[in-house]
Amino acid sequence: MALLTRLPPETPTAYHRLNPLTKAVVAMSTTLAALVLGGYLAPALVFATLVVPGAIAAGVLGRVIVVSAAATLPLAVAVALVSVFTRPGSTVLFEFGPFDATLEGADFAARIVLRLFVMASALGLFGLTTAPRAFIADLERRGVSPRVAFALGAVLDTVPSMVARARGVQEAQRSRGLDTEGGLLRRAAGVVPLVGAVVLGALHEVERRSLALDARVFGSGGTRHVLWAPPDTSRERAARWLLAGALLAVVVGTATGTLPRLP
Amino acid sequence: MAGAAMAVAVTVGLAALGTFDTTPDPNGIPAGSKAFMLALVIAVVVGFAAYAAVEWIQTRRLDSIARQFDTRTIVLIPIAIAINIVLGQAVGTALKLPVYLDSIGTILVGVLAGPIAGAATGLLSNLAWTFLLAGTPFGSPYAWPFAIVAIEIGLLAGLFGYAGVFRSRPSTPWPRLATGIVVGLVVIGALVWYGVVPFYRDLCALRSTPLRLCFQFFVDGPVPVDPLFIAIGVGIAVVLVVAAVAVAVRLLRDRDLGLVFVLVAGVACGVVSAFVAAPIAALVFGGITGSGTDLLVFAFQYAGSDLQLAVLQQSLISDSIDKTASYLVVFAILGALSRRVAGRFPQGERALGTIEA
Repeated sequence: MALLTRLPPETPTAYHRLNPLTKAVVAMSTTLAALVLGGYLAPALVFATLVVPGAIAAGVLGRVIVVSAAATLPLAVAVALVSVFTRPGSTVLFEFGPFDATLEGADFAARIVLRLFVMASALGLFGLTTAPRAFIADLERRGVSPRVAFALGAVLDTVPSMVARARGVQEAQRSRGLDTEGGLLRRAAGVVPLVGAVVLGALHEVERRSLALDARVFGSGGTRHVLWAPPDTSRERAARWLLAGALLAVVVGTATGTLPRLP
Repeated sequence: MAGAAMAVAVTVGLAALGTFDTTPDPNGIPAGSKAFMLALVIAVVVGFAAYAAVEWIQTRRLDSIARQFDTRTIVLIPIAIAINIVLGQAVGTALKLPVYLDSIGTILVGVLAGPIAGAATGLLSNLAWTFLLAGTPFGSPYAWPFAIVAIEIGLLAGLFGYAGVFRSRPSTPWPRLATGIVVGLVVIGALVWYGVVPFYRDLCALRSTPLRLCFQFFVDGPVPVDPLFIAIGVGIAVVLVVAAVAVAVRLLRDRDLGLVFVLVAGVACGVVSAFVAAPIAALVFGGITGSGTDLLVFAFQYAGSDLQLAVLQQSLISDSIDKTASYLVVFAILGALSRRVAGRFPQGERALGTIEA
């Protein structure tokens, strides 16, 4: 019984308690709507209506903004540099060496950055309020093959364990005299003995793990019973269909030109 | 049978398109080539469906597909995804090199388990990167649009693995090796000449002196040569030359003809990936990925290409280098992997030549 009570993830707020699929649908509709609509006003509106209320309800608005700003910033710098100075335009803002900064370029860069920020915030809200295992359990209950669900769940463990393994290998190589600090070339050369050891070690582990799984009749058919899956309500189901329908309407409206283009 | 269905689909597609429309669009790309690509993609899907349908009718099972997903593959997939994510994150964002190296795991699964397993790994990899790891430092909200590229990479790697491209062929007799190298160079040359070069011709045509042809994008109008572009160009050239020398030394020392096969396959995969990835990068991200490749987009746009074309020009360079490098890494890993381990994967024996095919 102790195991069963530990299965559901912690859900401090009502937004956390929403079904993971609902949150995923919200994130994807936000992302796709921002992508399809373009401009400034529409992504901002989508952000204000679909991300902000949820983030406030979950009490993570500050963190969502920080996380998505951190994800967007490197891209924003690159977008700004690439488009501001290279897009042809009639209005030159200022000159920097041989490069002209154009208003058209700045406009394009700002639109891309806004869109990327909305995308990152939608997925950030999803990530901050959803336990990945709950999402996988929910997908499995909805008919995703248990083998796929296993593979997805294993990713969650494998990424950190591979980082730990890489760190261990690196320390071992360093104690044998491998130089991993210093210039770019030296660091790049240090990657080679690292990648080989990590990847080969992981591949050899496949053997052990698959034997262990087969010993526990992983390969047998038949229905698998999920011990716990996140609850779902008919209201959420309706909301999901509504969002999907609205998204479809936005896509069709934009494609046919019936939807006015917002600035 | 599947081949026949595909051929029929290509023919029908071409017939429906009418004549091959060679009028170039504003980017200098013949309109017909886009339609042809579309027809080809549909044909691949039709061919695959026909293949699966025939197998289903004949055996009432889809063994050739199900076989690729045995327990070992299911265990390998998450490890491959982790390899993709960890390496991709480290190389793409930390090292700032114009390569991604985020598909090594996908290629491994494709080769060892088969095309469908490889495609599934690619798809799951990008989805996991975006959704499952969203709350962790490894997550990337920008990976999911490229899932289709990852699918294509896994599929191609599986087909190349099935064809035995990744087999090590050491101590090939000199005459055969020489023939192989010449044929390989001709194939790569043809790929580059017909698949890559046309997209840079306009860039060169803008200028007059043919001597500058190859360095055109370092040059713009009144400013004769910009130091920034020279630095980028020299940097890429140095990396390429070092890599080429290393590969050549290895090729001549081990006389491994397999290396030639892998190089050709890598370039082919890179060119195909570039055509799939470039429109996505341009439409969704304004041509930016946040890695070292952005400098190339900058250079091409500065030289006068519009966004779509600049991104394609960047992709053709960086994807070709990236996929060739990834293929070489996978080839090295498979060479170091013990036959006993590799042979137990669904396509392992065939891919590594433990049994003569």
